Amino acid sequence: MSMNRIVLLMLAIFVLEGSLVPWLIPSSYSDRIFSHFIFVIVIFSALYGSRYQALFLGMSFGLLQDIIYYGHVIGPHFFFMGLLGYLVGIILERKKTTLLLAISVVGFACLAYDSALYFVYYIFKITNATYPWSLIHYILPSLFLQLAFTLCAYVPLRKMFEKRMKNADSSDEI
Amino acid sequence: MIGFLLLIVLIGLTIGGRQKVTWPERFIKDAVGFVQQIVYRPAGAVAGFFQDIANLKEVYKENEELRKLAAAYARDKVEYNFVKSENERLKEELEFKQHQKEMNDYKYMIAQVISVNNDANNRTININLGSKHGVEKDMAVVTSDGLVGLVKSVSPFTASITPYTELSATTTTFNAISATVMGKESDSFGILSDYNTEQERILMTKIGENDPMAEGDVVITSGLGNIYPRGLRVGEIESLKVGDFGLTYVATVKPFVDLNKLTEVFVVSAPQQQNNEIEETES
Repeated sequence: MSMNRIVLLMLAIFVLEGSLVPWLIPSSYSDRIFSHFIFVIVIFSALYGSRYQALFLGMSFGLLQDIIYYGHVIGPHFFFMGLLGYLVGIILERKKTTLLLAISVVGFACLAYDSALYFVYYIFKITNATYPWSLIHYILPSLFLQLAFTLCAYVPLRKMFEKRMKNADSSDEI
Repeated sequence: MIGFLLLIVLIGLTIGGRQKVTWPERFIKDAVGFVQQIVYRPAGAVAGFFQDIANLKEVYKENEELRKLAAAYARDKVEYNFVKSENERLKEELEFKQHQKEMNDYKYMIAQVISVNNDANNRTININLGSKHGVEKDMAVVTSDGLVGLVKSVSPFTASITPYTELSATTTTFNAISATVMGKESDSFGILSDYNTEQERILMTKIGENDPMAEGDVVITSGLGNIYPRGLRVGEIESLKVGDFGLTYVATVKPFVDLNKLTEVFVVSAPQQQNNEIEETES
């Protein structure tokens, strides 16, 4: 799959994430479960693509999110989506990553992402909640949603990025 | 390291009260907003349909209550008409200027929600009205239940609302709102300055010692800053206690509006003071 298609697919998911997903989450949990599907895809691109690709995708979609939902500041999503994608890429890029490893990596990355965002907002005094409360109230519940998404989308996402890498490799050799 | 510096600079540049967003931001917002609008409304309609089926049992009871309420409104309406005509006559006699008369003549613009943010600490809501439709920064946004938030940034066809959950006394990203309580408008005063995320309540501070407000009173905006309109319902006072320094009282306010699954909101635009009128009166 070409890069254009990947970006287009991610754009579609980005749009759905803001408009469709809130309707699928039950009312009583809608301030506790937040989807980070784009971030999960960025982690996948780091695992099965390359770390530069993850950095690029993470930064561009993070910036997009920052701009579209501009409320307080521009920057946190832009920075941490790119950075975490790149870090995961450095550690696990093109190793034989199994399903179980992928899921645990996504889980830890999501924890790190939400925590990093929380601390940025905390430092700039935008939120007044404590970290343990945030962890229990929304970071952990959201984590389950992300893991469920990882399970569902593992095969198509992996195929997508591996095919793209194979194409890129063969075109490099030529 | 360079990335980290970039983050700090970006945050620093964008944290204050920016009056306008730059054109690339506006363009991207409009482009994505257009697509999201196509998805959000049908999704809301489908979800609403199932909700309706679930609520079918309660409809009968609700209908009965609404009928009682309608009768009460009809009685009040007569009273209101008398008072209004009297008020107008008095204003005429006191020679009010045109803009003073129109000061509380608010216009409600109906808007559709097109997307909500998936960040727990920044629950921005985007709507499908923009500067082309007359929406401006700092306008209040309400539903039929009460206050939702304020318009934070505007692009030609969409606008971002910062909901009341982002009220904070410590940041410069959200202004405080002056408030009073229903029925005691001229005696009560407080400032909605903070939101307690853990309790999910708005905090009203700077309430005077001899203030007559009590638990259970309905909090409304007072419109005293002339920036936000007056008379918008916000919530109900849940508890009232002495503040940090013992001089003023602090009230926790339970907001009326549930921010989850909003579909339609109203943007309240206050009439602008006409410049030509001022010139007329001067000359």
